[in-house]
Amino acid sequence: MRRLIINLQLFWQGAVLSYRALFTWLRPTTFIASMIFFPLGQIMFFTLLGIYATGAQNASFFLIGNAMQITASSGIFGVTMAVGGERWAGTLMYLFGSPANRLAIFTGRAMVHVLNGFVEVLMGLAWGWLLGWVDFSRTDPLALGLTILIATFSTAAMGLLLGCLGLITLNIMFINNLIYFLLLLFSGANVPVTSLPWWMQYISWALPLTRGIQAARNVVGGAPLTQVIDLLAGELLIGVIYLVAGYSLFRVFEAEAKRRGTLEAF
Amino acid sequence: MFLKYTRAVFAAFKMSYLSLVMDGFFIFATLLMPLIYALIAFGLLRDKGANYGIYVAIGSGLAGLWSTLLFGSGNAITSERWTGTLENIAALPTPLWVIVFGKTLASTMQSLLSMIASYLLGWLVFGYPLGIAQPLEFFVVLSVGIVSFVAFGLMLAPAFLLNPQIQQFQNAMEYPVYILCGFLFPVALLPFWTTPFSYILSPFWTARALQSAAGGTLTLDQLGVDCAMILLLGVIYLGIAALLFRIVLHKARVDATLGLQ
Repeated sequence: MRRLIINLQLFWQGAVLSYRALFTWLRPTTFIASMIFFPLGQIMFFTLLGIYATGAQNASFFLIGNAMQITASSGIFGVTMAVGGERWAGTLMYLFGSPANRLAIFTGRAMVHVLNGFVEVLMGLAWGWLLGWVDFSRTDPLALGLTILIATFSTAAMGLLLGCLGLITLNIMFINNLIYFLLLLFSGANVPVTSLPWWMQYISWALPLTRGIQAARNVVGGAPLTQVIDLLAGELLIGVIYLVAGYSLFRVFEAEAKRRGTLEAF
Repeated sequence: MFLKYTRAVFAAFKMSYLSLVMDGFFIFATLLMPLIYALIAFGLLRDKGANYGIYVAIGSGLAGLWSTLLFGSGNAITSERWTGTLENIAALPTPLWVIVFGKTLASTMQSLLSMIASYLLGWLVFGYPLGIAQPLEFFVVLSVGIVSFVAFGLMLAPAFLLNPQIQQFQNAMEYPVYILCGFLFPVALLPFWTTPFSYILSPFWTARALQSAAGGTLTLDQLGVDCAMILLLGVIYLGIAALLFRIVLHKARVDATLGLQ
């Protein structure tokens, strides 16, 4: 029991401190630029492109897709830097030298970013509502909230996996940006998954967000939770797979870095 | 004097270009990001007909051009501050703007790869007919546009250095310019009050003229107006840049606060 409490404390402290380390040194304007203006710009650009291509009646398709995809800015960029940033900050050897529970350390890095991503998606949807691009009159708020939470979790789990790569590569910003933008293409946020070539569809279904975006569109369109439960279960499973893969990689890299003495090598 | 400055511009260009082409982020911004935009736009606009192929190729190329310029030129001086070499460069007999001009030229040249990559994608992968109906006019507009892009970059570099608050919006400045300049959809989709903002951005006039030249609808009158606007805005950007460079050097030589964040 005592060990469990210690691990929970470690999880919570790691979650809060890694988030503060990433953002509190920034000025409020930076935070606002990252959290409000960048998502708004992206949502507006792709929704307007979609309206131009397919007509104003499809605005909600693009708005919901891109609002959901915004969670990747927290889930991919935030989480990756929360894990991979340890190396840049020179704190990796202390982290790996501590006897702390690795699972608590690892998963704690993602927790606040999941909440952050959740708020970002809500803000994106609110922008869409304000601009008249989406109608929530038939939406079950609880089902939508659960959908956003699960999609945010699965994206953050992918961020944990990418964060591990940040422990061994100097090009993590390249990888981050590439994955973030590939999600715009593969997740179905803009181009319906069914209209992609067959080989791209296989990739889409192996990524987080694809099922979450589809579920969110259904829920906003009036579908009850029972109708999207399969999609949500699939999204959750994808998240767990990425989390397990990321944690396994984290342990492998720790063992390798210790064996080779390359913890801080650049 | 001119030869000396030319040598300095070339040295700054070479140094900056070689580091940019090896930088993972800039490879992404120049080549991969425009390709992803192009893939999305080709996927969405394919029902509109083959004529949109060249429209998408130009638009996504310009988007990559803007992103590379925003980060490459925007950080041209700031990166010197990060590496602690800003005071040394400011103290050189060669004017600071000459060095920044060379660096901005490098990022603009690298960003031209965006247009080539988007063009090749549309042609080779999607099989769109990407012929340019008015190649001479296209080349003229592109040349004038590059001059204006460089002027824009010269303005961004000292602006970001002097006011970190502006630089914090660097990421957030990508999409508004894509939208206001009509890179991938016409600005007619936007509310009327946004039009003046489009008009003060030279990439808007560049995109408009390039797309018209590619589609074969660029009249002599439009060519004249668009090129005049691109050059006029370029001159205005240069005037603002000159003013900002004076402030930068004042901070360096009088206040001694240049290296402070």
